[in-house]
Amino acid sequence: MLLVLPIISPFFFAIIMMLFWNNTKAHRIINLVSSAASIIFAVMLFSNVNNSGIQVFQVGSWQAPFGISLVADLLSAIMIVITSVIGFSTAVYSLATIDHEREKFGFYPLLQTLLMGINGAFLTGDIFNLYVWFEVMLISSFVLLALGGRKKQLEGAIKYVTLNLLSSALFLAGVGILYGLAGTLNMADLARKLPLIDNPEMLTLVSMLFLIAFGIKSAVFPLYFWLPASYHTPPAAVSAIFAGLLTKVGVYSLMRVFTLIFINDTDFTHTIILVIAGFTMLSGVLGAASQMDIRKILSFHIISQIGYMIMGLGLYSPLAIAGGIFYIIHHIIVKTNLFLVGGAISKIRGTYQLKKLGGLYKLYPILGLLFLIPALSLAGIPPLSGFWAKFTVVKAGLDLGEFTIVAVSLFVGLLTLFSMTKIWNEAFWKDAPSETIGNKFSGSNTQKAILFLPIVLLALITITIGFYMEPFFDIAQQASEQLLNPNLYIDAVLGVSNE
Amino acid sequence: MLYAVVAGFIFAIFFPAAVRINKQAGKIAAAVLPLGIFIYFASFYNTITEGNVIAQSYNWIPSLGINLSFYLDGLSLTFALIISLVGFAVFLYTASYMEGNKYITRFYIYITLFMASMLGLVLSDNIITMFVFWELTSISSYFLIGFNHDKERSRIYALQALLITGGGGLALLAGLIIIANISGGWSISSLADLNELITGHKHYPIAAILVLIGAFTKSAQFPFHFWLPNAMEAPTPVSAYLHSATMVKAGIYLMARMNPSLGGTDLWQHTILIVGAVTMLFTAMLSLKQTDLKKLLAYSTLGVLGTLTMLLGIGSDLAIKAFMIYLIAHSLYKGTLFLIAGIIDHETGTRDITKLGGLRKLMPITMVIAVLASLSKMGIIPLIGFVGKETVYASALEFEPFGTLLIILAIAANVFIVYITIAVGFKPFFGKLKPTPKEPHESPFKMWFGPMILALLGVVLGMFSSVVINSLINFTEIGVINKKLNIPVKLWHGFNLELALSVLTVLLGVLLYFKRDNIVNTLNKISFTKYVKPSYYYEFLLSSTLSFAKFQTKFLQNGNLSNYAAMIIVATIFLGGLALVSFGGAPNIDLTFAPTFAEVIIGIILILAAISAVRAKSRLTAIVSVGVVGYSVALIFIMYSAPDLAMTQFAIETLTVILFVLVIYRLPKYLPFSSMTRRIRDFILAGLGGLLMSLIVLFIIAEPMTSELKKYFGENSLTIGKGRNIVNVILVDFRALDTMGEIAVLAIAAIGVYALLKLKSNGSEK
Amino acid sequence: MEVILVIVIGVLYASGLYMILRRSFVKVIIGLIFLGHAANLLIFTVGRISKGIPAFISIEGTLAENAADPLPQALILTAIVIGFGVQAFAIVLFKRAYQTTGTDDLDELNTTDELIQ
Repeated sequence: MLLVLPIISPFFFAIIMMLFWNNTKAHRIINLVSSAASIIFAVMLFSNVNNSGIQVFQVGSWQAPFGISLVADLLSAIMIVITSVIGFSTAVYSLATIDHEREKFGFYPLLQTLLMGINGAFLTGDIFNLYVWFEVMLISSFVLLALGGRKKQLEGAIKYVTLNLLSSALFLAGVGILYGLAGTLNMADLARKLPLIDNPEMLTLVSMLFLIAFGIKSAVFPLYFWLPASYHTPPAAVSAIFAGLLTKVGVYSLMRVFTLIFINDTDFTHTIILVIAGFTMLSGVLGAASQMDIRKILSFHIISQIGYMIMGLGLYSPLAIAGGIFYIIHHIIVKTNLFLVGGAISKIRGTYQLKKLGGLYKLYPILGLLFLIPALSLAGIPPLSGFWAKFTVVKAGLDLGEFTIVAVSLFVGLLTLFSMTKIWNEAFWKDAPSETIGNKFSGSNTQKAILFLPIVLLALITITIGFYMEPFFDIAQQASEQLLNPNLYIDAVLGVSNE
Repeated sequence: MLYAVVAGFIFAIFFPAAVRINKQAGKIAAAVLPLGIFIYFASFYNTITEGNVIAQSYNWIPSLGINLSFYLDGLSLTFALIISLVGFAVFLYTASYMEGNKYITRFYIYITLFMASMLGLVLSDNIITMFVFWELTSISSYFLIGFNHDKERSRIYALQALLITGGGGLALLAGLIIIANISGGWSISSLADLNELITGHKHYPIAAILVLIGAFTKSAQFPFHFWLPNAMEAPTPVSAYLHSATMVKAGIYLMARMNPSLGGTDLWQHTILIVGAVTMLFTAMLSLKQTDLKKLLAYSTLGVLGTLTMLLGIGSDLAIKAFMIYLIAHSLYKGTLFLIAGIIDHETGTRDITKLGGLRKLMPITMVIAVLASLSKMGIIPLIGFVGKETVYASALEFEPFGTLLIILAIAANVFIVYITIAVGFKPFFGKLKPTPKEPHESPFKMWFGPMILALLGVVLGMFSSVVINSLINFTEIGVINKKLNIPVKLWHGFNLELALSVLTVLLGVLLYFKRDNIVNTLNKISFTKYVKPSYYYEFLLSSTLSFAKFQTKFLQNGNLSNYAAMIIVATIFLGGLALVSFGGAPNIDLTFAPTFAEVIIGIILILAAISAVRAKSRLTAIVSVGVVGYSVALIFIMYSAPDLAMTQFAIETLTVILFVLVIYRLPKYLPFSSMTRRIRDFILAGLGGLLMSLIVLFIIAEPMTSELKKYFGENSLTIGKGRNIVNVILVDFRALDTMGEIAVLAIAAIGVYALLKLKSNGSEK
Repeated sequence: MEVILVIVIGVLYASGLYMILRRSFVKVIIGLIFLGHAANLLIFTVGRISKGIPAFISIEGTLAENAADPLPQALILTAIVIGFGVQAFAIVLFKRAYQTTGTDDLDELNTTDELIQ
């Protein structure tokens, strides 16, 4: 039952909010309650999975593979927990930053349906159901992105919508083809039946469709263009939750299908993934190096960091996958936080343009520290979380003798450091230019406290992961072992295989 | 030892609070901290010099084999003592040097963090733990160089130092991991016995080079040296502490530490020797043009770092001995001289040697300290610097077969160092008093006390070298070359060739000092091309990376949606094609072609409608065509026994068309935008995409498929699902979760449509 | 008999992709609609088609051996409805974008990707 709650609970609260459509005060409270409840459910689910292995729930108690199975292995459980943490942080942050107009037009219910879609994608064990959750997530994100209707938002939304729908169309076709090959949609069942089909080479072909479809969602090279075009346009809270979670649903899906379903020809498929990873890292970080707007820099860094996660998948060894998973954990926390800090900066100065910023370190040293923690972590400075994430992936690459990709990843690490110091240099160190617009935090002290609460929370998590990496990495390693042993998943869903 | 390292970090965290309570107490506590650490480590002196090592280990990340393990032997003890002692002098000095600075608290935090990291670096026995501290020193150096961050130069050079040492750090990380992979463990102390295993491995050369890049960047070896003089933008205590006495020696330390495990090969020894020798000579020569006290000292530091590296490269027993003595001597006198430079700057308001002179009467104590340190630096008996230089010469002389060449290089470099010393240590104090921006006074006690201790220590260690540091150095060598030596350290070796060369060096140095202006004038006439300067390549690399970044971003992220979509389609076709090619044989295709008339007609209508939609000149035609396509799809559903689908398709298509018509009712003309080339490109892409999908379908349907699901649904729909229409039963029962998601999508879309139509933001940026 | 469907699917994909590459947002939406049709027909076809026998359970309570596979149909139904929701949003988005920017030319809507120095 715990498996359904992360999906049903936000949906339930979203419906309640829709019932009280005009009462935005109620929306705020319900939204907080829902986000807090999600954390509780997520932690309960996680501890269940951690203690007693992969959890399966057959919806409507139809025996798998006939109905839809919800499955939580460690990877799913990890993702659910982080999603709930990010959901909560954004929910709190929104209270201080979202304008009344947006609140009136359903901002909070949309936030919850977005989380519902994300959780659904992480939990489902059915490939078509995954498509449905993708769509729930997408349409929520479409509306959140466009809500407000400013010119830039609409422009960004058009690109975001079009390219993501293209991805959905490919995904849908891929789902159909998988059914046409194996006559089933349950992922565990697919994993069991696909190796037995008469034309296994088709599987490789279909895997390419999925690679493209999920690649678009994960924003890998050369499919990422929708992301930098749109992520800097909505309010900070929306940017932050998008940046943290949405692409990671794509990465999660890639990890899922390329460890469970498409493992017939890893020499071919995973080499392609590795090549894509290299280009993604490089292209993303170069994009960031050319930007002078905080959110655009951060957006391009999402892409480059996705490269590291995909690199873990492409290397396809226990350590590499564990590194990839650890990278996801680290990245979601850190990237969300950077966008939140960016929002705080713009709340003070009224802009995200580095040229117009400056002097923040002298005035707001604590804000400086709160920026530095995620920023240096992202740049891979030890002992913050990003260092360990990079370290494990690099180590895995060197273990396998993949020197090229390791060299690329290290070079990209240096450029990441460059980008982060660029923001630090321009926004914090240099003196404020004369035309600086704002100079004070616009808002009450309560608002200020609400704004900084999630930032501090996420910074503390970053530090904890960095200094006390063992339990986090241990979980990532176990999750990786589960992924690399698909029979665990298959047996959990379908019962012990009858071979 | 863990506590000694952690103490600094904890101190840094609580320092701001402490200062808030009592500013003076905070500053005093800051100076007591390194003193305490010094006493703590000094207490191990006997243990270590009796030939013991102390190892401690705490679990940190056991699943990766990363522990907080510390290892105290002669080498790390020497460094720990230098770090804490110079730290003490610097912290004490800072209290009055930075007096009145608004951000002094931040300064103390950074520099304490640095000290703790540096201690951690030299004490770590775990490769990765050491690397963690290594990077922390780079980062704290960044914040310290950029401390005066309202100056643009500070920011630029802080970044330069960070990028160079950080880039080297990443190379080092890769090198260290490769070594760990070869040796199968992370413990540095256990690597020493694996020299053969490591140096014989096929990945050894790349690992060694990567480690050396790390060491060379950190210790500012040629061609990475230029960041160090630029780092003089930092406040003087930082220059004294990080950029001469300790951090820049981290690379030297690393090479010394790795010498037993990685050394002994031609690759290792020759690279280090050549790089060291080139650095030594090249950078010492560059000092000639400088007139800034700190810059001069920076170049002499570079010369010394080169010498130290060269000595490691020579690698003989005597060279290692010289290495250790010189290391200690340099930390003492260079730290002192930097602090003196700071005092002069602080008291007179200038660091330009051409504007300084005759301060001996006004600042007698400072002068005495400066002279002591200078004499040590010049290698004058009886100071430690003398012992150092003698041993350096001796080890260069005995190097076969290039001893003569090396000794010439070494003397040349030392001549410049003598010159620098005269310029820095003597010139400001002697000669005529020159007017300075500020009225000079003797510096306060807190400022001169630290340098004085360091300077006096130089005397003590020199005069009693055989007693005090002999045994420490002997055991240090175990750390560097894995065997204990018994070459005694003595002050006086008698009248020999080295002594004669020392005298010659000093004489030439003095000569150089008096002839400096002539030489500089001559040098100024020769114009060097910018291509000989390594910093040119740094800037070139940086700027070309940035312009390439701009180029690729403008090229890829060009704002054109159709280009973005085209990239995705190209990628799909490419990867699909790649997969097809990898088949290595054509799959089955079933081409039995027996369509009925109705099928052909519907197919043709659909295709024509699709083409018409594509070619439509007006929106209305396009939309009508879209409708026809949709209805034809519905007809196909009917024809192939899917009545529910057909019904839904009809309904939805009608709604879509109505919505479309409503929305575009009042739009301007439907303009063709695209150029002909673009249309041709798109036509090819679209055609290939369609072909790919058609092929996939053909391949799939060529093989039979049996679905257990269909059978199961057939058996259970009525009995359990209570419905005869299986499609409906699936939707509401078997796959109810899909339907729930579907409803959610519709509801959210409705909110979206409503919000888009109603909410008109007034454009305020939130 | 599938051959015609295969051709139709190919043409729908080709025209859908072609329309997505156009500069007018209306055309892009038409392209997305076509891609939706194409995907639905693809699922329909690779789920194996059968003529004339819908997936109804007969009076005797059994499903005919050669009846259509109901599952792909259910999927398509869900996909059609979801597709409609999303397309409706896209159409309205287009309207708002047009009202705000005054153009239908996507090449002109590139301010969010501008490199600001």
